[in-house]
Amino acid sequence: MDVRSLLLFSALLRVLLIIYGEWQDAHMEVRYTDVDYLVFSDAASLMASGKSPYQRSTYRYSPLLAFLLVPNSIIHPSWGKFLFSASDLLVGLFIHTILELRKVPENLCTCALMVWLFNPFTFSIGTRGNCEPIVCAMILWIIICLMNGKVLQAAFWYGLVVHFRIYPIIYSIPIILVLDPHCFQYGLKPALSSWVGQGNSTQSIPSTAVPDSCGIWIAWTSMFTRARIMFGLISGAVFFAFTGLFFYLYRWEFLHEALLYHLTRTDPRHNFSIYFYHIYLHYEHEFSVVERLISFLPQFLIQLVLIICFAQDLPFCFFAQTVAFVAFNKVITAQYFVWFFCLLPLILPWSNMKLKWTGLSCILLWMGAQTHWLMWGYLLEFKGKNVFLELWIASILFLAANTFVLIKIIRYHTFSPLFQRLEFSSSDNDLGEGKKSN
Amino acid sequence: MPPSTVSYHMESWQHVQVHICRILGIQLIFLVGFGFCMSSSFVSCEVGRCTSNVGSTNQSLNIPPYFEKYITKSYFDKYDSLLDSDFLDFISHELFPGSCELLLDNLNLVLRLSVQQRSLIGDGSHRHLSSSFRFNIQSELIAELPIHFCEAIIIEKLPYGIFADPFELQHLLQRGVFMDAAVFGDTNLELPSVHSNRSLVEVHMDVDLNTFSRHKDGLEINIDLPLHIRYPPLEESGYSSIELGAPDLFMRCSIEAKSHNQSCLLMLKDNGVALGNGPVVWRVPSGIKAHARAVSIVTFISAILSTLSIVLTSVYYSSTKLCKNLKQS
Repeated sequence: MDVRSLLLFSALLRVLLIIYGEWQDAHMEVRYTDVDYLVFSDAASLMASGKSPYQRSTYRYSPLLAFLLVPNSIIHPSWGKFLFSASDLLVGLFIHTILELRKVPENLCTCALMVWLFNPFTFSIGTRGNCEPIVCAMILWIIICLMNGKVLQAAFWYGLVVHFRIYPIIYSIPIILVLDPHCFQYGLKPALSSWVGQGNSTQSIPSTAVPDSCGIWIAWTSMFTRARIMFGLISGAVFFAFTGLFFYLYRWEFLHEALLYHLTRTDPRHNFSIYFYHIYLHYEHEFSVVERLISFLPQFLIQLVLIICFAQDLPFCFFAQTVAFVAFNKVITAQYFVWFFCLLPLILPWSNMKLKWTGLSCILLWMGAQTHWLMWGYLLEFKGKNVFLELWIASILFLAANTFVLIKIIRYHTFSPLFQRLEFSSSDNDLGEGKKSN
Repeated sequence: MPPSTVSYHMESWQHVQVHICRILGIQLIFLVGFGFCMSSSFVSCEVGRCTSNVGSTNQSLNIPPYFEKYITKSYFDKYDSLLDSDFLDFISHELFPGSCELLLDNLNLVLRLSVQQRSLIGDGSHRHLSSSFRFNIQSELIAELPIHFCEAIIIEKLPYGIFADPFELQHLLQRGVFMDAAVFGDTNLELPSVHSNRSLVEVHMDVDLNTFSRHKDGLEINIDLPLHIRYPPLEESGYSSIELGAPDLFMRCSIEAKSHNQSCLLMLKDNGVALGNGPVVWRVPSGIKAHARAVSIVTFISAILSTLSIVLTSVYYSSTKLCKNLKQS
C-alpha cells in the first residue's frame, strides 16, 4: 500500500468515526465525544460572542484553541473534530517526510507510518475531539524545519507550541544542542545523516554535548552561535508575544488557567501517576518546599541525563524525554500517551528490537500494566470499592512497565545523530558540506 | 551536498505542501457536505452561564426572587455559601412577598404532596438520585382557579462532597429531560471535599394541573438527577457516609389577573408521609490515614529506583555506542 492510499484510507476511517461519534452522542447515554471537546466548544462559543473563553470552567488552554474552534458555532459542532483529525493525518505525512529525508527505505517508512495511522489511541483521540494531534503536528514540523536548516521557522513554531502546550519546553535544550556549529551553520542547509541499515551506526562521528578540552571559556563562547542565539531569541519572543497579547485581552484569568495551573497542578484524584495517592493522603496539609523538590528531582535528573546522552539524535532524544516526562509526571492521563506515540515511528527504523519476542513483550507489558490499573480504577470509581492501595500499587507497576520499555528501547536503539559533521577546509570561507537554506 | 540532493529536498518540500493542501481540501469537502446533511441542533443553554454568574450582583435591579427564572439565584447573590439556616431565612423572608395570598390559600387546599420514594441508583462515584413526588388534587376546585401555567420547582441542597455537573444537566436539557435546570454554589468539579463548598440544584418540571386533575391518582413527578462524589476526607475505616436531605418543593403558577399575568410561588410541604426506604445515604470509599507514611516512602523509593535504572542505562549505552562509533571511524 503506498502512502497516498494509506492517508486516504485513514482519512476515510476518521470521517466515519466522526459520523459514528455524532450518532452515538445523540442516541446513547455514554457519549463518544471527549468531555474536553465540549469544554473547547463552549469556550469557542463564548469567544465568538465576544466574551472570555475562561468563563467556561475547566477551560485551561490557550485562547488560540478556542479561536480555532469558533467555526463550531458557525459551520457545525464537528468542525473541531475534523480539524484535529486533519492534524492527525498531517502528523502521518510529516512522519513520512522525516523518514524520507533520512533515506529510510520505502517499506520501513510505510510500516512506521502505519504505526501512527492505525494506532487505536491515535485515531480515536482526534475523532473524539482531543486537540493533541495539533501539538504533535507542530512538533514534527519543527523537526522538519530544523532538518531543512530553517531555524527561524523552527523557532517561530517552537515558541508557538510552548505557548499552546507547555510540555514541549523540555525540548528546548536538545534543540539548542543539536544546533552544534560542527554540524549546523546558520543560513545553510545541514547535511542529514542517513539510515544505513538496522544495527549499523552512521559513519559520522557524533558531536557530543560535552565541551572539548580547549578550555572552559572557549567552550562556553563557542556555544553562542548565531543559530542558537536566533533560535532562542525568536522562540522566546514568539512565546512572550502570544502570552502578552492574551494577558492584555484576558488578564490574570488567562495566566492562571492557561499557564500557572499546569505548572502547579497537583490532582489528588486517581490517575496513572504514582504520586496520586500520596497527594490525596497529604492534601489537607500544604506540601513543603522540600517535598515539592523531592518529587521534582527524579524528573529533572532523567531529563538532564537523556539530553546529555542523546541530544544529537534529536528524534530519539525527544521520544525518550517525552516517555520519561509522562511517566514521572504528577498527573498522567491517557491523552498524554499521544505525545510520544507521534515520535515512535521516527525511531523505529533505527531500532534493532525484534517484534518476536522483545517487541511483543514490551507492548504486552505496557498494555497489561495499563489494563491492570484500569481494572482497579473501575472498581474504585464505578463500583465504589475501597481499592486505593491496590490502585496505587498498579500505578507503581505501570511506572515499572514504562521504565522497562524505555530501557529496552534505549538498549536496542542505534544511535544516529540527525546531522552529519560538517567538514571545514583550512580557509574559513570554504564550507564543504553546507548549502544555503531560504 | 550534490545538486541532485538539493533538488530532491526541494521536491520533497513541494510534495509536502501539495499533500497538506490535498488533505485539508478533502477534510473541508467532507465537512461541508456533512454540515448540509445533518441538521444542526446546537443549542446554547443558560445552565453554564447561570452558574458562571454565581456571586455576581443581580443586574436586573430589585426583581423579586420568585420572578427570576431561577428562584435560588438571588440567594447566592446575597450569601457566599450554602447554609441550611440562611436558606430557611431566605425562603421565609424573600421568596414569599404576600401578593398572591388568595391564590396560595386556594392552591394549598387543592394540592397535597406526598413524597413517595427517594433512592440512589447505581454504584461508585457517579449515581442518580431518583425522586418521585405525588400530588393529590381536588379536581372540582382546580378548574375555578385562574391558572394559566404551572411548573414544579425542586431544590436539592447537596451536602459537602456531592456535586452536580452543570454541563451534564445542560445535555439533559437538550434531550428534554427537564424543562430547566441550574446549579448554584461551588461548581468546581475537581476539588476534593476538604477544599470545596456546598452547592444546590434547581430543577423545573412542566406541570399541567388541568390535565392531571382528570386522573384519580393525582399528579406524579419523577426526577432522575445525576450526581457525583468528590474525594472525601480521610477516614480510618476507609469509607465515608454522606446523607442527602429532603428537597424543597415549590409550585410556581402564572395566573391571569385583570391587567397582566403574574407569578405566584407556593411551597409544598409533605403530609408527614414517611419515606418508605429511609434517608438517602451515599457510602464513599476514602483514603486511609494509616497508609500515609508507607505510601510516601514507597512512592519515592519507586521513583528513585526507576530514575537510577534509566540514568544508568542511558549513560552505559550512550558511552558504549560512542566508543563503537569512534572505533568505526
